[in-house]
Amino acid sequence: MAKLTHAQIDNTVLATLSPPDRTYWLTVAGLFIGAFIGLCCWIYQIFVGIGVGGQNNPVAWGTYLINFVFWVGIAHSGTLISAILYLFRAGWRNPIARAAETMTVFAVMTAGLFPLIHLGRVWMVYFMIPYPNQRNLWPNFTSPLMFDVIAISTYLTVSALFWYTGMIPDLATIRDRSSGFRKKVYGVLSLGWTGQFEQWRHYIRGYLFFAALATPLVISVHSVVSWDFGLGIVPGWHSTIFAPYFVAGAIHSGLAMVLTLMIPLRKLFHYEELITMRVLESVAKTIILTGMIVGYSYITEVFIAWYSFNPVEQELFHWRMFGDYGLEFWIMFTCNVIVPLFLFFRKIRTSLPALMVISILVNVGMWFERFVIIVGSVAHDFIPHAWGLYAPSMIEYGIMFGTFCMFFFLFLLFVKHMPSVSMTEMKEALNSGDGDVHE
Amino acid sequence: MHRRTFLKLAGIGSLSVAVGCTSDPDKKLYSLVHAPDDMVTGKATWYASTCRECPAGCGVVAKNREGRVIKLEGNPLHPINQGKLCMRGQAALQGFYNPDRLQKPLRKNEDGEWRAVPYREAIAVFREKLTDAAGGRARMMTEVVGTTTEQIMGELMAYVDSPPPLMFEPYAYEALKTANRITFGIDGLCSYHMEEADFLLCFGADFLETWLSPVEYARKFKQMHTVREGRKNLFVHVSPWQSVTAANADQWLPAAPGGETAVLLGCIREALGARNGGELPGGIGPALHDLSEAYTPERVAELSGLSIDAYRKMVRLLLNAKRPLVLGQGVGSAGDDALATNVAANLLNMILDPELKRFDFVHRHRVEAAARRSEVYDFFNGLKDSDASLLLLNNVNPLYALPPASAAAGVMAEKDLFVISFSSFMDETSAQADLIIPVLMPLERWGEYGGKTGLVSTLQPTTGRLFDAPELAQLLKVMTLPPENLPEKLPRIQSMVQNRLTEAGQIQGKQEWLRTVQHGGIFAADAKPAETAEEEKGSSISPSKDAETSLRNVFRNAGNRTAKNAGPVFIAAPSLRFFDGRGANRPWLCEYPDPLTKVAWQTPVLMHPDTLAENGIRQGDIVRVASEWGAVRAPAYAFYGMAPDVAVISAGQGHDGFGQYAGGKGANPFIILPYEPEPVSGAPSFLLSPVRVEKTRKQLPLAHTDGNKTQHGRKIALTVGLEELRQHDAHGHHEKHGFGMHEFPFTLPLPEGYDPHRDLYPPREYDYRWGMVVDLDRCVGCGACSVACYAENNLGIVGEERILEGREMSWLRIERYHKEDQMEKVTFFPMLCQHCDNAPCESVCPVYAPHHSPEGLNNQIYNRCIGTRYCSQNCPYKVRRFNWFTWQWPSPLNLQLNPDVTVRSKGVMEKCSFCVQRIKTAHDSAKNEKRRIYDGEIQPACVQTCPTDALTFGNLADKNSRVRRMTDDPRAYQVMGYLNTKTAVIYLKKVVQEV
Amino acid sequence: MSMNNRYVMGLFNDESLTVSALEALKSSPWPLHRVHGPYPSHKILHALNFRKSRVGYFTLAGGILGFLSGYALTTFASVQWGLVVSGKPVVSLLPFFVVGYEMTILFGVLGTVLGLLITTRIPDRKSIKLYDERCSGEHFGIIARCDPGKQEELAAFFREQGGEVQMFEDEETG
Repeated sequence: MAKLTHAQIDNTVLATLSPPDRTYWLTVAGLFIGAFIGLCCWIYQIFVGIGVGGQNNPVAWGTYLINFVFWVGIAHSGTLISAILYLFRAGWRNPIARAAETMTVFAVMTAGLFPLIHLGRVWMVYFMIPYPNQRNLWPNFTSPLMFDVIAISTYLTVSALFWYTGMIPDLATIRDRSSGFRKKVYGVLSLGWTGQFEQWRHYIRGYLFFAALATPLVISVHSVVSWDFGLGIVPGWHSTIFAPYFVAGAIHSGLAMVLTLMIPLRKLFHYEELITMRVLESVAKTIILTGMIVGYSYITEVFIAWYSFNPVEQELFHWRMFGDYGLEFWIMFTCNVIVPLFLFFRKIRTSLPALMVISILVNVGMWFERFVIIVGSVAHDFIPHAWGLYAPSMIEYGIMFGTFCMFFFLFLLFVKHMPSVSMTEMKEALNSGDGDVHE
Repeated sequence: MHRRTFLKLAGIGSLSVAVGCTSDPDKKLYSLVHAPDDMVTGKATWYASTCRECPAGCGVVAKNREGRVIKLEGNPLHPINQGKLCMRGQAALQGFYNPDRLQKPLRKNEDGEWRAVPYREAIAVFREKLTDAAGGRARMMTEVVGTTTEQIMGELMAYVDSPPPLMFEPYAYEALKTANRITFGIDGLCSYHMEEADFLLCFGADFLETWLSPVEYARKFKQMHTVREGRKNLFVHVSPWQSVTAANADQWLPAAPGGETAVLLGCIREALGARNGGELPGGIGPALHDLSEAYTPERVAELSGLSIDAYRKMVRLLLNAKRPLVLGQGVGSAGDDALATNVAANLLNMILDPELKRFDFVHRHRVEAAARRSEVYDFFNGLKDSDASLLLLNNVNPLYALPPASAAAGVMAEKDLFVISFSSFMDETSAQADLIIPVLMPLERWGEYGGKTGLVSTLQPTTGRLFDAPELAQLLKVMTLPPENLPEKLPRIQSMVQNRLTEAGQIQGKQEWLRTVQHGGIFAADAKPAETAEEEKGSSISPSKDAETSLRNVFRNAGNRTAKNAGPVFIAAPSLRFFDGRGANRPWLCEYPDPLTKVAWQTPVLMHPDTLAENGIRQGDIVRVASEWGAVRAPAYAFYGMAPDVAVISAGQGHDGFGQYAGGKGANPFIILPYEPEPVSGAPSFLLSPVRVEKTRKQLPLAHTDGNKTQHGRKIALTVGLEELRQHDAHGHHEKHGFGMHEFPFTLPLPEGYDPHRDLYPPREYDYRWGMVVDLDRCVGCGACSVACYAENNLGIVGEERILEGREMSWLRIERYHKEDQMEKVTFFPMLCQHCDNAPCESVCPVYAPHHSPEGLNNQIYNRCIGTRYCSQNCPYKVRRFNWFTWQWPSPLNLQLNPDVTVRSKGVMEKCSFCVQRIKTAHDSAKNEKRRIYDGEIQPACVQTCPTDALTFGNLADKNSRVRRMTDDPRAYQVMGYLNTKTAVIYLKKVVQEV
Repeated sequence: MSMNNRYVMGLFNDESLTVSALEALKSSPWPLHRVHGPYPSHKILHALNFRKSRVGYFTLAGGILGFLSGYALTTFASVQWGLVVSGKPVVSLLPFFVVGYEMTILFGVLGTVLGLLITTRIPDRKSIKLYDERCSGEHFGIIARCDPGKQEELAAFFREQGGEVQMFEDEETG
């Protein structure tokens, strides 16, 4: 393959910003309507009561929190790829870093919605904000949910800033290649960046610190999310393995989602030369790793339950595997642990359709993991007389559908109006030799 | 943004939401310009009255706030219930405040449509019809009423020279009455000193549910049946299926229906043998000999299906008992042989204890005044071919309670018979009437009802009136006066009662009358009124003249029924919740799940799992139970406490009409019952065989509130064997150490309960530390506590489909656990908020809605709650309840709401508060009187009403308080204590003994 | 510096060319004004041998401030009512650590952003005037200063270094 030049990089990426055609706008409109349907479901729920969902006693947490954890999970690989792999100087990250960060930002936004949707009295949500008030009533900072509030908002802020900082030089490039109104807009967005080396030297330093801070953040945020359960007393939740287990799971799902997004993107935007098969392969290999970590966690959980000799734990995990939610459990296990193993085969790893299917399966599996953990634990905890089952209601499905639409809606808008591959980093990689994005 | 603007915006937000809510709590305040002397706003006044929900006649005190009654509690002075109340008594409020209660008289026009008419008109019609009916053409049927009302009714019927009123009760205990006549020569229902017995043998009498006087006998039963210095008296129950009563027996022996008589005759045979003849009065001894001769243990076992050595053991225990008491069949499983069984039971008592010390022939149950079923049938048949033109019905519902084959429906449909119903509800019978005149309900009227002979128990208005209905007794009285010259002041019932009592010499003067009303009756004279004095003391207690012949005739085919049993047997059991069906429109009673099946709002048909399996029926399949008289459809429920091939449906539901909560819910078992009454006693048969039990294609998901039947060996509802306990007594139980579920030590929610080895955080000092002790050995699972909680704390009624979704709101639930290896053994287990010292629910709330009070309560602040539901998820006991919607109280039910307790709206969590409002009240009075709160001064609603004193509430921090002393009991333990939650609800293990 | 300077930009589409041009410029009379480039080329950065960037101090300061304010907030909030939950002391430092931790990162990042804005002086309207759009593509632009009238020599210098030349006529810039 011919050596990639700066010009090629610019042209390929800038080509993606050409005015979109009708099908694009139709899709965007469709997704918007989908999101609107979700909104209507939520409004209905606010007026009638949370009971329109399927939650009950004992299962008072349903799809809302499942989706919350799911999206937070998705959000993780973005920062992982752009920050951790940046520190590791893993060159294959460069072509997908931008898209992954974008995914992160939008995923966190989506995730952030769910706690609100979940609240019984969302109109009182400001009780959770630590603001000075006459009653001197402040939130309870020992609550894992307050940890969440802090962690998730921090994560949203940081990943958004990280994302934008990384984009400034590219915005400048677009500014310089465009004319008229667009030039003005990108001019403003690029904050008058002119790529002076006086700026670059601070920029790369700052970017490094960004990465250095984002890395522990990624780990901590999903640990905090996991503590929503780990700090609970419920059998199946109350376990020290939860933090690493959830972080691994999050990255697992995140990488899968990256593939799910990248493969079509690559096709539509003719990124074949930037996002080479090798990049996708590297992602696939990482998925094998995370998949194995996750599988290990599953097995450890069961082992500990048996080893602890606690009848409640034992009963619960036996029930999880062979009880009412046995199907969900095995879907989870197959999709997250067995399916990724197929990526060991180069043939599969290098076939786009296979990759696509596997990535989607992993996403499904991870959704069910959250179902099994969240629903499958409280449904069957200490007091047998209080056991009960849960099934989502149409309203819940509606809201879920809406949020998925919202996510893709935002993502679609982004890729057509912002550089979905970081030109600067590609150029840098091109010369500084590392990264070798080209065979 | 400024704080204020922010709050404004938030306010707008919540307003826009509030618009959506259908029921905003009523924010209007009314000031009384002329308040009655005894009404201080915010302060409750109490009125003593009498419960009329069933014929038992318990005394109640009604809590009245700002003119409306909001809670009923037992009258502590009343000898029958001694301050306790059953769930039906609690629910009397919902009869009074029932949204389906008729507010105006209704008249049916030619084409059968109802038209509301003013009272004046309705009464005019009544008078006119009455004058037409003069000359013996009027008839009257009433529920069992008090003496005064009975007299007035008599006068009225005499006034139109017609036969006296007939008292109708679906459960009239004909068999028991007749048995008493045959064996004791007393055609009535004597009461029992159950508390004095040391061995109780019962053949189906469900004295914890409906039999005679449930609250009284529940109390007496537990007085007899608790563990005292390492000993516990025995209770053996022999019956075809396990009622709540049977579930409380030390040993329940499943007998083939009809086999009870055989068992009893067997016992008689052994007893006679042991007592070598035993001189029985009336020379029935020899007769008994040859009657019972045939009933050898083998034959008994064969006839009854009991295992022979279980039977032998039982007999041995019976004969060794010092103070045995044998009870026959209740109406529960009463078939044709009910008479035989009850006669046999009486005779057995006579043989075992010739003086019959545990029988009280003086204070007989008032319900004995009810007519036999045969008389009821004759009444209607009589109407058919008599020229009667007027039928008066007072609060009876024969069209529901009588088998369809009875003449009742036909008679009432007849054109030339004008039917006036004095009912407040459009039930099956009222629907067939021509005129409905709603009258005052017991809670708002004067009157008198003695639940037992010689007992005066008064009724007085406990609340402001909802509608301008007349007082029935007064209305009838007025009818007997010539219309042209009515006195200025109409006769008042209270003065009639007063006069009657004065004439009877039971009170002198106004003062005593006032005291009587304040106390709710005359209980000092509990001993006995003068006139019945001499017919006391065994002298007159002797078998009736024709005893011998009637015995032979009674026992002619005793026990053989079982032999001719072809196919399944069907039993229509009386219901703990609905009694005979009169409670079916009380939302609390529908909402509270049946103690045994845990099914609410529905009427399942109970069958043994094996029987179901044989017929290929799965739980929830709709089963069609058909007899030659009719068929009833109900979902099958697999219940272990059943003899094989027995199907039980409890009565009460399956109404058409009656009200929004009763209409179309459940099934009515009465409609397939046979018509013919038993010839000698005139008793109806509530047991019927054979029936056809067919599976239909349909299914009905059961609205049950239990997730699982057993406790999987967890530390929840523990039992301890008597032997084990004796060893325990030697050395206490607190020396346990370890972290496992069963090794974890007993840790009080007090500094004593803390130990640096286990606890990361330091303990807290308490001045008051509220706690509760639940004695599982005393809990009979009657559910009165739970319903009392609904009444006191404004719990929402969620209805059938919400319960199916698992959203019941009960703060206090009775969990029912079967023993894994003996599924017919049941333990009832009250579960409420444990008010843990280390409550898992508290720290997880982001806004401090649940937190720890300085007195150890686990507070829940409703208006701070934002509904994350994390607390509920993290509660190991799953006692927290979430308001999934804004629950509705259709007017006037909302008037019953307790003003001291917030009415929660959608989106907030709630749970048991230990009735914090009562704790606050106690604090106030203590403060005013500059003292500390007495031990036992605070009684949460559940504790207050528990008929068996299973619950005790108090201050754990006080070393001498009752609760604290009870925690030293070796039976004390904490549910799932190993979670180190340090619960403030301490349970005492149930003491079981093998028979 | 005096207002009547002239600026000339030499554009090179290759790192090594740029570096050699920079070397040559040093030995020439013309003072280097600044260098533009599409990406932070390490060779060039090296050639320009800058002092170490001070962004890190902002990050550090932010981090410390964040950690402290995290604990301050939580402690203050919990002593307001002193409500006991789950038997924990009112001020239970252990759980508060999570808040402290997250706040550290949040403020650290905000500090970094602030640092970047200050050190790189963006948003920046002026320098766009002395700029060539090719510099965001594949060219590096070296801007040197010279007295009026000397532009042609400077331009020639750049040309022989193998670059294209961009002249800036405007005096006002600097």
